[in-house]
Amino acid sequence: MRWFNILRDRIRALRQRETVINDIDREMRLHLEMQVDANIRAGMSPAEAREKAMRSFGNLNRAVDAAYDVKGGGVFETLAQDIRYGVRMLAKHKAFTSIAVITLALGIGANTAIFSVVNELLLRPLPYRDAERITTVWEVSPRGRHQNSTSRANFRAWHDQNSSFQNMAAFSDQRLNLTGTGEPEELSVQFATPEFFKILGVDPILGRTFLPEDDKAGQSPVAVLSYGLWQRRFGGQASLVGDTITLNDEKFTVIGVMPPSFQFHIKQRSGTGRPAELWTILPMPVGPGANERGRFLGTVARLKDGVSVDEAAAELRTIHARLSDQEPQFNKNYTNEVLPLREQFFGNVRRPLWLMLGAVGFVLLIACANVANLLLSLATSREKEIAVRAALGARRLRIVRQLLTESLLLALLGSVLGLGFAWLGIKALVAISPRDLVSLHSVGLNLTVLGWTLGVSMLTGIIFGLAPALHIARLNLNDSLKDGGKSEASHASGSRRLRNALVVSEIALAVVLLASAGLLIRSFLRLQQVDRGFNTDNVLTMVVRLPDRYREDPQVVNFFSQAIDRVRQLPTVRSAGIVNFLPLYGGLGSNTGFKILGQPEPPSGQGPSTDVRVVDAGYFGTLGIPLLRGRNFSDTEQREAKHVLLINEALARQYFPNQDPIGQRLDVTMFDTPTPAEIIGVVGNVRYDSLVDEAPPAVYFPHPDLTYSFMTLVVRTDGDPAAIAPAVQREIRALDPNQPVSDVRTMNQVMSEWVARSRFNTLLLGLFAGLATLLSAVGIFGVMNYSVASRTRELGLRLAVGAQPRQVLLLVMRQGLGLTVVGVVLGLAAAFALTRLLSGLLFGVAAVDVTTFASISLLLVIVSLLACYLPARRAMRIDPLSALRYE
Amino acid sequence: MPKDKADLLQGTLDMVILKSLSLGELHGYGVIQRIRQLSDEMLNVEQGSLYPALYRIEQKGWVSSRWDVHETGREAKFYKLTRAGRKQLESEEASWDRLCLAIAKVRQAT
Repeated sequence: MRWFNILRDRIRALRQRETVINDIDREMRLHLEMQVDANIRAGMSPAEAREKAMRSFGNLNRAVDAAYDVKGGGVFETLAQDIRYGVRMLAKHKAFTSIAVITLALGIGANTAIFSVVNELLLRPLPYRDAERITTVWEVSPRGRHQNSTSRANFRAWHDQNSSFQNMAAFSDQRLNLTGTGEPEELSVQFATPEFFKILGVDPILGRTFLPEDDKAGQSPVAVLSYGLWQRRFGGQASLVGDTITLNDEKFTVIGVMPPSFQFHIKQRSGTGRPAELWTILPMPVGPGANERGRFLGTVARLKDGVSVDEAAAELRTIHARLSDQEPQFNKNYTNEVLPLREQFFGNVRRPLWLMLGAVGFVLLIACANVANLLLSLATSREKEIAVRAALGARRLRIVRQLLTESLLLALLGSVLGLGFAWLGIKALVAISPRDLVSLHSVGLNLTVLGWTLGVSMLTGIIFGLAPALHIARLNLNDSLKDGGKSEASHASGSRRLRNALVVSEIALAVVLLASAGLLIRSFLRLQQVDRGFNTDNVLTMVVRLPDRYREDPQVVNFFSQAIDRVRQLPTVRSAGIVNFLPLYGGLGSNTGFKILGQPEPPSGQGPSTDVRVVDAGYFGTLGIPLLRGRNFSDTEQREAKHVLLINEALARQYFPNQDPIGQRLDVTMFDTPTPAEIIGVVGNVRYDSLVDEAPPAVYFPHPDLTYSFMTLVVRTDGDPAAIAPAVQREIRALDPNQPVSDVRTMNQVMSEWVARSRFNTLLLGLFAGLATLLSAVGIFGVMNYSVASRTRELGLRLAVGAQPRQVLLLVMRQGLGLTVVGVVLGLAAAFALTRLLSGLLFGVAAVDVTTFASISLLLVIVSLLACYLPARRAMRIDPLSALRYE
Repeated sequence: MPKDKADLLQGTLDMVILKSLSLGELHGYGVIQRIRQLSDEMLNVEQGSLYPALYRIEQKGWVSSRWDVHETGREAKFYKLTRAGRKQLESEEASWDRLCLAIAKVRQAT
């Protein structure tokens, strides 16, 4: 039962330290007394006897301690001792401790902040039942456009023919005007087929969700409310369930209320751009007159147990291939794709997020290298102390453990402060994150994140503590004692090599981060400089969506032309116009087919296609889009359909390369019957879909030719465009008091939202790279400073035998520069390999960009020269005489 | 002063302590005296080594201890060999004898 005895003793020793020590002490003292007695018996005087006994005993306390160690001091007691000693050591070296803790806190804080986002978006389960079994299904267009909407007919085919999914639902986001209680308001409404809620597996907090029979024609439509809408508009009254509310002049029966957390918002494919506040049944009519071919549906589905995403995707592709054969005019070259829900929601942020986590990992490594360097310098100055401890009987393992305990203490302090930084960092992240990124509101410090921080800090403690500890353990302690602890003996070169290696790796890591940040910054600047084809300054935009009361097209056209006339009369307004979809604000996509009259018809599915916009004559001037040839729409053409259109330069170049397009006639397949329209002019290109892609061909119809009941007003003003917004809204209300407006924004806001993600990534990575540069500058400074201090004598000697101070300065600078250059070269090599990972985030710049790499290298060299300058100046001013006396 | 002193080989301290206790219960001071006596004054165990060794041996269960009144009237802690300790002593003595024999043979070969 040996282990039992040991354990018993240890626990006893720990719990009753005093008793155990007293016991030992008593035994020792009795021993001493016996010795004294024996000495007296041998004939010594009592004083002599005691003195001799004491001498033979040695240090009584030490003997007690040694004995106590055996009894139980063991693990726990020495740990407590180590911690006490470590705290004392850190408290003694305040400057060292604060620099190390702040350095670590920056690294740990940045890591924690980014990890909390990664955890929220990429690791935490999504808020649906068995969310990993839920997928979305989309079409892929012949042009390779992913996540393309599908049509009713195609959805029905997928739904009826597949055997991979338990359930499949179609949905579509639209806006409806809520009237009846309070101000009229435009709501974001998600239309969905009845299986929708069953697939997501979320229960309402009140009432019920859809039932299959809610789909029956002829009964009043049902509505499920979001918690937010229920609270905001209806005061959270439970009695609302069963009542009716009015949407677009139609009565809806409220059947349930969803919990606050419920949301199913696919931003990049949402027709409203806002999370839905209300759900209702999506009608799925069949037969003539039903829009079965228009692509406007999203699809969400739940996999059957045991069916993988790949299997389901393969089956759906087969089904779609059949559709292609059956209806080539609609489905030729279309295919489809199945996306797991997490991929759907966060697929586009996954890569940047992992990259950011990698970047903060680099920052943390640099922080570790810095602290390791600090610890090394400190350890060197503590050599004597440690040698004394070793001479007094401390074993190497014990010394290493002591040093590691100190590192871990540092790491813990760093992580406590780091959590503070992280908390601030998360607040900042949430504040500056682009609206369309993902909702970061629920990101915060939770248990997972705290666990991560603790793990990271322990790991860092070991990483930066191990090198100095092992280094000390290898020391020849006798030398240290003999030289009084200030030796430049053999081990010093080993320690210097270690320090240099640490600084070189810091610089290399900083180079990689700077290179990445530099590439993003250049991309961002390129993005800003792109000729987007329109002028965004001083332009206000807002969306007006007319309800079904405006049944007839002329009513709609009339409303908008009156509205524009009124807005033009407002003071400071220079010009105003309307467009169905703003540039960079989604839209129909650029896939509408057309025919050029008089030219041979190409085979089906291979004809030309174009982007289609509906505008008025004022639109071009307001956004600064130049009219290149021909003329703008006349007043008559804006009052009634005269079958005219404008084309952009891209279309003119591509389809009328060597002829005048004016007077040519196009049949754009936007109409139920072929409706050729005459080209009356050519306008400049506009990048509608994205700033990244070249402008595709586009045609512009006047509003009477292709009437939309929702249009965006664009207003150019002399001053701040936002200031005119209330006046514009008043004019709309004056035309129709029940008519809300929405999305009131300046064109610059629209633009900045589009580049927001790019700006966000750039800002974040730039910040981390800056931090990395700063930390490595501190690292170089520390190493050079230490090097100068330990070479005081040598440098003094050089000065004494006639070296010029300038030469000494250069000597030190050259040493620092050497380290920097090695670090930069290694860093560039790593950057060549790693910046490829950025390729998806770059625009107009290659992943290996010579200019960027050269400039960041230069930047780092300059920074490190600055960091070397202070120690070098100190070296230059060494007083030769006192330096020689030194030591 | 003692005559020629001998250093205890590493690992033999335990055996010597066990041996001294094999002749009867002793307190710590007694163990040192007994070892000196048995070794004809050649082995002098330091207190600083004795007690850690004693505690270690006690934890291994080879000796047990109790406080009792010493013949001088003072209290002292007495150590006593356990059955496991006796076995341990036998096995250590046997391996020690083998070692001595082996070394003697090697030395005679010259």
